[in-house]
Amino acid sequence: MTLLAPLFLLGLLGLALPWWLHRLEMQNTEREKFSTTRFLEASKKRIHVQRKLRYLLLMALRMAFLAMLAFAFARPLLFDDPEVVATDDSIHHVIVVDTSFSMQTGNQLDAAKTRAATIIANMGGDDLVSLYAASTALTTVVEPTNTAATVSEGLGTLTTSNGRLDLGVMISSLNPLIEESPAPVTLHFISDMQLTGQAVRFADMIPDVVGGRAVSLDLQQLSDNAPANYTIDSVVVENRSKVIASIRAYNGDLANAAKQASLSVNGTVVQNVPVPTGSNGVAQVAFDNVVFGEGDNKVDVALTPNDSLAADDVRYTVFDNSPPAPVLLLTADRESLGVTYLSAALATAPRGYAVEATLVDDLDPRILQRYPWLIVDDLGVINGALATALTDYINGGGSVFAALGPAASKLSSVPVLNATATSSIVGNTTVPASIAQIDVSHPVLNDSSGWNNVNVYPVKVELAETDRVLIAQEDSAAVLIERNIGAGRLLLFTSSLDNSASDLPVKPVFVGFMAEVAQYLSNEKLLVKAQTADSYLQLTQGGGGSGQVVDPTGKNLLSLQDTTRAKDVLLSLSGYYQVFTPSGEVLVAVNADSRESDLSLMTPETLQNWQASVSSAAAEGAKVATDMAAAAQTDNARENEIEVWRLFLILMALLVLAESLLSARYLRVKTGTF
Amino acid sequence: MAAPAQQRSSMQLLDPKVLASLSNLEIVAKSVVEGFVIGLHRSPKFGFSQEFVEYRAYSEGDDPRYIDWNVYARSDKTYIKRFLGETNSHLMVLLDSSASMGYGSNGISKLQVGKFLGASLAYLASRQHDAVGVMVFADEVLAYRPPTSRSGSLQGVIHTLDKAEALKGTAIHKPMARFQEHIRRRGLVVVISDFYCDTQELLDNVRPLAVQGQDVILFHLLDPSELAPELKQSTLYEDMETGHAIEVSPAFMKKEYRERINAHIAAIQNAASGMNCDHVLINTAEPLDRALHSYLTFREKRG
Repeated sequence: MTLLAPLFLLGLLGLALPWWLHRLEMQNTEREKFSTTRFLEASKKRIHVQRKLRYLLLMALRMAFLAMLAFAFARPLLFDDPEVVATDDSIHHVIVVDTSFSMQTGNQLDAAKTRAATIIANMGGDDLVSLYAASTALTTVVEPTNTAATVSEGLGTLTTSNGRLDLGVMISSLNPLIEESPAPVTLHFISDMQLTGQAVRFADMIPDVVGGRAVSLDLQQLSDNAPANYTIDSVVVENRSKVIASIRAYNGDLANAAKQASLSVNGTVVQNVPVPTGSNGVAQVAFDNVVFGEGDNKVDVALTPNDSLAADDVRYTVFDNSPPAPVLLLTADRESLGVTYLSAALATAPRGYAVEATLVDDLDPRILQRYPWLIVDDLGVINGALATALTDYINGGGSVFAALGPAASKLSSVPVLNATATSSIVGNTTVPASIAQIDVSHPVLNDSSGWNNVNVYPVKVELAETDRVLIAQEDSAAVLIERNIGAGRLLLFTSSLDNSASDLPVKPVFVGFMAEVAQYLSNEKLLVKAQTADSYLQLTQGGGGSGQVVDPTGKNLLSLQDTTRAKDVLLSLSGYYQVFTPSGEVLVAVNADSRESDLSLMTPETLQNWQASVSSAAAEGAKVATDMAAAAQTDNARENEIEVWRLFLILMALLVLAESLLSARYLRVKTGTF
Repeated sequence: MAAPAQQRSSMQLLDPKVLASLSNLEIVAKSVVEGFVIGLHRSPKFGFSQEFVEYRAYSEGDDPRYIDWNVYARSDKTYIKRFLGETNSHLMVLLDSSASMGYGSNGISKLQVGKFLGASLAYLASRQHDAVGVMVFADEVLAYRPPTSRSGSLQGVIHTLDKAEALKGTAIHKPMARFQEHIRRRGLVVVISDFYCDTQELLDNVRPLAVQGQDVILFHLLDPSELAPELKQSTLYEDMETGHAIEVSPAFMKKEYRERINAHIAAIQNAASGMNCDHVLINTAEPLDRALHSYLTFREKRG
């Protein structure tokens, strides 16, 4: 705390004034003269003692008011962190230790701690030091302090994570810390200097030099040699019985590694095969005739013997062996191209759907209720009785995805929709109007890229006011419409799905679109079952409540309250997370970012260039800001200062209020005596 | 219709508050007595005035001022004029000026009222050609003027009363002993005090006067707030004589104190009647006519 105008503290002498006045008041008014007390008897309740205390309180309030007034004029300043004292000679040592997944290699973290301890031991007496852990995000371990012991304690708490370090993200996170530093900054970065951590833009690794703040970069590379590392890039299940694992060697040779790959299903090792030599450091291992249980299966492939980075020698995968969900497809021709395209697209959807193509003429309308949703490849083939049944089905809560194929284009009124088809341009040789409007807020259009390349000759239908146009062409012709009918909904593609009036079925966007349609109309929301460590799992994808999440160690991550309101949860560990949602149990496999497995190092030239760039940027910034330096320092100092006179003013206002209330009470007492 | 207005104005002159605004105690006394006498004109019973009653042959010792020289011119004989109410008695005013007499809640202290009363009685007695004396006392005799009917004695008495200040404590035995030493002739003794003393002590000191044949009137002066205090808050009271402070509650002052002060007044009254003295309780907020009435009544009884 400092006082800008100590002379005003002389105003504290004014405190004597209320003391003197109260002393007079006490002497003059405390006692009432009475002719004799021979007939009086002392009251049991010593009111005058209370009154005396009240007078003292009143005097204290008045003296406090004057003290506040004197202090307010003296303009005292408080520093927001009195423990941090920076002098002109101070240097702020910002120690950043890489705690990303690759630092689990050997004992690199211990080496990093030793380096950091050396830096702390060698820093000057007036220097400041702060400690940060860098992984997916930058974590503050110790705030800027003059106390080395505090930082040493913080060092002991550092542990590696499963996250990935991006140096660009790290520097951008450090920028505000450097700006707010009370002294010139020396940034000590202790890391394995992994090549994959390098930012895409080299400039992103240069700290912003704001206000002439001097920044120097001290790169502490833990090792000059990148160790060999073997990892599993991916695990894929084919045909529900074959597991293919892709093995990759970084800085090593699979031929000399003599690695064995073992497959575990639901925690049981089922196969063990040698890893072939492969080519270009990549080999594939196939496990045949694997038997999976129904539902989610834990499928992990591990490499033995372990290398220096053992954590990435196993790859976790979840395989959903649930049978494909049946989808009814009403068509006039089971062999039509539309049926083929739809069946293929839905079969490859993440959930997996088995299309049951049924001829319109053979359909018993009573079976409609077995399906949560169905497809009509050409709404024009629906006859009157079936149209009524379909309408009832939708009214009852069913969902229908329909297209207007060749048959519909010949009708003047579209069944079920009960809308007039105003024109049909099928067969028109003119270039179709391009897609101009896409409602990306709709769930089925989450991925709208690719729709602009789709050519569509739509059947123009008369729209109801409640219809929601999801895709429209330049001429405002609706391509995709959603209409709510009763408790259900109808999603209508106004062209054909047989590649005649629309080339949508042969465009890449079709598979993803159908997957979204299926998920939307079946009212299923799926969790992404393959996640990267240090990412967030979006729980609301499960629909309804958040549910409980159990991490690989068996620990519940959410409190009871959070199970109904948590939107996401951090996946910090590698392994299998169990997510219990209202719709059932789901497994999520979490693996470290595969880029962390590549232990290749940044070249010495890159590191030198980085260091030089930081120094030159700092020098340039200092040059530009020479005139501003003093002002900037003053500003920084002022930023750290808290002018408390405003606080005193508030206190004075409160004191005046309290004094007024108390005085008023005192005056009431006075009128009661004679 | 003029009489009531005159009476009202005369009664106003007896109000202690009005009297307090007059600076000269002699004027106060004159105003009180004149006002009081004017008020008595309508009362034949108390017909006190300088009315001529009879002539009496001059004898040695009579004041030659009262020889009617007109009669002497016509008859060559000396006659003395006699007036109604004229006696050859004397009046001794004993005024308590202890510190407690300085108390007053309505702008006028008991001592002031005591001075007014003493001066008025002295003036009244002087009009009747009585010898008037005064003694101001507290815990000892502070001032003393022996009774005399000589010219100018009234001014001396009033001056002595005027100088009295409320000081010290009350100790009645010492001044009474001194008074008994000086007083020889029988007469009227008026004691003006708040009588904050022990009743037995008062008895012991006043009884010799009664035995001596003095006619004693005790004018017991009390302030309204001493008679019927009304407190709204507990108050710390400081004794004006001893300085002792004590905190009292409104409930106590409303009930127990009043019982105690009334008991004390009754004890003084009983003691006075036991000594064949007259006890007159004076509320200092009330006009002084009651006191003067008491004096005249008492004087008339004693002839």
